[in-house]
Amino acid sequence: MERGLLAYILIPLLSAIVIPFAARNKPRIADIIANVTLLAGLANMAYLLLNPSNIAESFSNIPGDGFSLLMVFTIYLVALCVVFFSAFFAGPMANRQAYFCLMLISVAAMCGVVTTSDFFTLYIYIEVLAVTSFALITTDDTSAGLEGAIKYFLLTFPASVSIIVGLSLLLLSVGGFSFENVKMFMSAGSPDGAALFGIGLILLGFLIKAGVAPFHAWVPDAYQGSFAPVSTHLAGIVTKISGIYAIIRISMLMRFSEGEAQALAGTLMFLGMLSIAVGAIAALRQKDLKRMLAFSSISQLGYIVLAAGLGTPLALIAAIFHLFNHATFKTVLFLNSASLEKAAGTTDMDKMGGLEHAMPWTSWTSVIALLSTAGIPPLSGFWSKLLIIVALWAGGAKVYALLALLFSIVTLAYFMVMQKKIFFGKKSAAAGISEVSAPMLAPVVLMSAVIVAVGLLFPYFYAYLVETIAKRMIL
Amino acid sequence: MMNLILIPIVLPLASALILLTLPERTKYIRELLTAGVTAVCLMAGASTLMSALFGQPLTLNMPWAGAGFNFTLRADQLSSFVLISISLFSFLISVYSFSFEQKGGSKWFFFNLLMTQAFAAGAVLSENLLALLFFWEGLLVFLYTFIALSQKTDAAKNTAKKSFLINAVTDLCLLVGVTIVACISGSMNMSVIAGAKLTMNGWAGLAYVLMMIGAVSKAGAFPFHTWIPDAASDSSAPFMAYVPAAVDKLLGIYFLARISVYLFALNGTMQLVLMTLGAVTILVAVMMAFVQSDYKRLLSYHAVSQAGYMILGIGTLNPIGIAGALFHMLNNAVYKSCLFMTAGAVEKRTGTNDLSKLGGLFKAMPITGLCFIIAAAAISGIAPLNGFFSKEMIYKGSLSTGYTVFFLAAELGSFLTLASFLKLGHSVFFGKRPDDLKEVREAPFSNLLPMAILAAICIAFGFGAELPANWLLAPSLHALNLEVPVLAGFHPDKLYWLSIIVILAAVINHAAGYALSGGRAFKASDHIHNAPLLKETYALAEKRFFDPYEVIMRSVPFAAAALYKIDRFFDYLTDALPSRLGGAFSQASGRFHNGSYPLYMTLTIAGAIAYIFITANYGGIR
Repeated sequence: MERGLLAYILIPLLSAIVIPFAARNKPRIADIIANVTLLAGLANMAYLLLNPSNIAESFSNIPGDGFSLLMVFTIYLVALCVVFFSAFFAGPMANRQAYFCLMLISVAAMCGVVTTSDFFTLYIYIEVLAVTSFALITTDDTSAGLEGAIKYFLLTFPASVSIIVGLSLLLLSVGGFSFENVKMFMSAGSPDGAALFGIGLILLGFLIKAGVAPFHAWVPDAYQGSFAPVSTHLAGIVTKISGIYAIIRISMLMRFSEGEAQALAGTLMFLGMLSIAVGAIAALRQKDLKRMLAFSSISQLGYIVLAAGLGTPLALIAAIFHLFNHATFKTVLFLNSASLEKAAGTTDMDKMGGLEHAMPWTSWTSVIALLSTAGIPPLSGFWSKLLIIVALWAGGAKVYALLALLFSIVTLAYFMVMQKKIFFGKKSAAAGISEVSAPMLAPVVLMSAVIVAVGLLFPYFYAYLVETIAKRMIL
Repeated sequence: MMNLILIPIVLPLASALILLTLPERTKYIRELLTAGVTAVCLMAGASTLMSALFGQPLTLNMPWAGAGFNFTLRADQLSSFVLISISLFSFLISVYSFSFEQKGGSKWFFFNLLMTQAFAAGAVLSENLLALLFFWEGLLVFLYTFIALSQKTDAAKNTAKKSFLINAVTDLCLLVGVTIVACISGSMNMSVIAGAKLTMNGWAGLAYVLMMIGAVSKAGAFPFHTWIPDAASDSSAPFMAYVPAAVDKLLGIYFLARISVYLFALNGTMQLVLMTLGAVTILVAVMMAFVQSDYKRLLSYHAVSQAGYMILGIGTLNPIGIAGALFHMLNNAVYKSCLFMTAGAVEKRTGTNDLSKLGGLFKAMPITGLCFIIAAAAISGIAPLNGFFSKEMIYKGSLSTGYTVFFLAAELGSFLTLASFLKLGHSVFFGKRPDDLKEVREAPFSNLLPMAILAAICIAFGFGAELPANWLLAPSLHALNLEVPVLAGFHPDKLYWLSIIVILAAVINHAAGYALSGGRAFKASDHIHNAPLLKETYALAEKRFFDPYEVIMRSVPFAAAALYKIDRFFDYLTDALPSRLGGAFSQASGRFHNGSYPLYMTLTIAGAIAYIFITANYGGIR
C-alpha cells in the first residue's frame, strides 16, 4: 500500500464517523462536512499533481504510482461533483446523514482499492464498496430502487465467488497475493497453469463487477432504478474502480503484450469488443435516458477492456486515459439526466423535446459531453479513442481497430438521437420547464471545463501518462 | 493610350452596358445608339484594314493576370478582313432591326447584338490563344441570351439550352485543345506557334482535332448544326441573319483557316477528314433543306450546307481552295444574311413562314423579291454573281487534290441548292397569291436598305471579283504565309460548262417536280422526298433520329432514372440498411433486457462457465 495516500482513505472515513454525531439535529451539516472533506482532498491531490514544478519537469518528480494517484484524483473529482449536486438535488431526505456517510465510506473504499498492492486487500475493499453501493441504490426507497439493489447484489455475487476461488488458487500456486509476487512469477517465464487459471478467475470476477458483456445485464436495471445522483456515482466512478481498475492492473502485471497468457488476453479483447457492440447497438433504441446512458457505459467500458487486453504500453495508457475521460463525461451526462428528471419529472426521452431554450446550460454541457464520448476533436474523448485505435492498429489487431472506429460512429448516432429527442426538435407538451438552479449546474460546468481543458492540454496529460505510468510501471 | 484596335471591342461593350441603363419608355434611342456605334465600329474596322494593307498591322500588348500571360491583340490582313465583315453585318442588322417588331424586346436585342459584336471582334483580333478563348466563351453566353430572349415561348428557351449545350461541349474541346497546344509549344501566341508549326503526331494531333471541333461547330458543320434549324423556328429573323448566317460562319472559318494552315502542318489523313466533313455537311444539310416547307428553316439548312463548302475548301490545303473558302465565307454571309432579311420582311408583312400559305408576293414586294432573286442566284452559284466565283475556286482546289469524289459531292450540293431555291422562290414570290394576302405591302425602308446593300455586294463582288480578290483574299493568304495564285478572272473552261449543265438539270428537276405535284410549287420536292429509301430516311430525320443532341437528351431520363436507382441503392446500403439492422438488433436486445432476474442470472452463470472452460482449456489446467 502506498503509505503516502493513506490519508485519502482515513480522512473520509473519519468524516463519515463524525457526521452522525455532528449532524444529529441539523441534517444540513452532513452536506457541509462531506463537501468540505472531499474538496480538501481534491485540492490536496490537485496540488500534488499539478503544481508548477511538476509540470515544468514533466511530472518526473511525482513519487510512486502514477496510476493510483490519477485514480484517487478522479475519485475525489467525481465524488465531489456528485455530493455537491445531491446536496441541492434532494429536498428533505429521511436519511440525509446516512446518505452522505455512505458516500464518504464509498470514497474511502475506492481509495483503498486503488492504493492497495495486493489482491486480497483489493478484494476486501471491493466488498466494502459493494455493500455501500447496495445501500446507496436504495436511498430513495421505492420499489425500483430495491429491485436494482437486489439485482446488483445477486448478479455480482458470482463475481465474489469467482474472485475467492481465484485467490485461493493463486495462494496455492504462487504463495502470496501481492502484486510483486504475481509480477515475479510472470517474469520467471512459462507460468504455471494453475496460477494462470486463478488469475483468470479473478479476472472473471472483475469482468462481472465491471458489467462487461455478457455479464452486463445488471447494469441498466441498477442505474435506472437507483436514486439519480447515486446512478451518477455508480456509473461515473464505482463500476470503474470496482471492475475496470483491477482489470487494467492485472493486464499490467500479466504482461499481456508479451504473449505469456495469450488465451486470457484474447478472451479479454473479445469480451471488450463484444461489450462495445452490444452496448452501442442496444443504446440505439432505448426510450429511457438513464437506460441509454447505462448501455453507453457498457460500450465505452468495452473500449477500455479491449485496450487492456492488448496490453502494450500505449494501449494501457490509452485505457487509463479513457477511464479518466469516461468518468468525466459520463458524470456530466448522468448529472444532466438527474437535472432533467427533476425539471421534467421523467427520464422517458419520448416525453421530452425542445428543451434547449428552457435548459440551455444543461443542453450545451450535454453536447460537449456527447461529442467527447463520440470522439470528436479537440475534446478529451477524441484523444483517448485515437490512442486506443492507434494502439490496436500498431499492436496488430487491425480488425478490432476498424470495428472500434465503426462503433464510435454508432456512438455518435445514438447520442445525436438523444440530443435531438430531448433538447432539439419540437417542444413537448410539458410547459413551464425551466433550468435547474446554479449550484446544480456548477458540477456539470466544472466537468465540461475539465473535458475541454484536457482535450486542449492533451500534450501535458500525455506527458504525465508516459512519465509516471508507461515508463515507471510497464516498461 | 487609346489604341484604334480597342474601339471595335470596347465601344460596343460600353454601349451595351449603357443601353441597359436607358429608361424603358424612350423611343428610337436604343436603335439610334446601336446604329451609330456600329457605324463607328465599321469605320474603325476600315481604318484597321487600311493600316494592315498599307502599313503596319495594329497591335496591342498588355501583361495580363500577373506574369506569364500577355493580352495580345493583332490586326493582320486576315483578322482585319474578318473584323470589317463583322462590323458591316452589325451595322446592317442594326439598321434592319430598326423597326422590326418580331425581334423580341429591343433593349435585350440590341444589348445582345452589341455584346456579340464586341466579343466576336475580340476573338478575331486575339493574337493570344488565351484571349481568343476568353472572347470565344463569352460569345457562348450571348448566344444563349440572344435566343432565350428573342421570344417569350418555352420553345425559345429549349432551343437556347440546346444551342448552349452543344456549343459548350465543343468549346470545352477547344479549351482542352488550346491547353495541349500551350503545353507542347510553350507559348500561347499564335505568331510564335506559327514560327514552328505543330505536326500531326501524338498530342499535337489530338489538339488539332479538338480545336477543329471547336471551329467547325462554331461554323455550324455536321453534326453540331442541329440547333440552327431549331433556332430558325424559335427565334427571330435578324438573329438568324446576324449570328448563324454571318458572325458564326466568319469566326468558325476564320479560326479553322488559322489552325489548319497557320498553326499546324496537316497531313493527308487530316486533309481527308476535313474534306469528308465538308462534303458530308454539304450533302446532309442540303438534302434536308430541299424538303423543308418553312422559309427560315429551309434557309437555315442552307446556312449549314454552305459551311460545308468552306470546310471543303480549307480541307484542300492548297492556296486556291483556301482563298475560295475565305471568299465563300464572306459571300455566304452576304447572301445568306440577305436571304434571312427577305424572310424577315415576308414574315413581317404576311405573318407566316409557311410556304404553303405564301405565293405571288413579287408584285406586292418587288424590291424584296428582287433582292431574293439576286441572293438566291448567288447562293446557287449562277455566273456572274459572287457565289459563282467562290464556288469555282473551291471546285478547282478540290480537283487539284486529286479526289474527284469531293468535287462531285460539291456539284451535287449545288444542284440541290439551286433546286431548293427554285422551289422556295416559286412558292413565295410567284404563282397564285392566296386570298388573305391581297393587302400585303412592301417592307419598310429600314428593311429594304440593308437587303439592297447586300444584294448590291453580291453583284459587285461578282462582276468585280478582282476587287475582293486583290484587296482581301490575296493579303489574307499572305497573312497565312501562303503563296498567292491567280485568283481573279472569268474562265469559260470545262468547269463553267459543267455549272451550266447543273443549272439546267436543276431547272428541269424543278419543272418535273412542279408538274408531278399538280401545280403546287411548295410540293415541288415531293418526288425526291417520297423516293424509296429516302422517304424512310427523311421520316427518321424528322423524328430527330440523327440529331446527336436529341439522341443524348432522349437517353437522359433513362440515365437519370438509372443513376437515381444506383443512388438509392447506395443510400440503402449506407443509411436504411444499417439503421434497419441496428434497429432490429436493438429491439431484440430490448426484448431481451426485460428485467427478468432468472434470465439475467442464467446468462451470467452461462457466461462464467464458458469463460472458465476457455481459460482452463487454453491457459491453465489440462
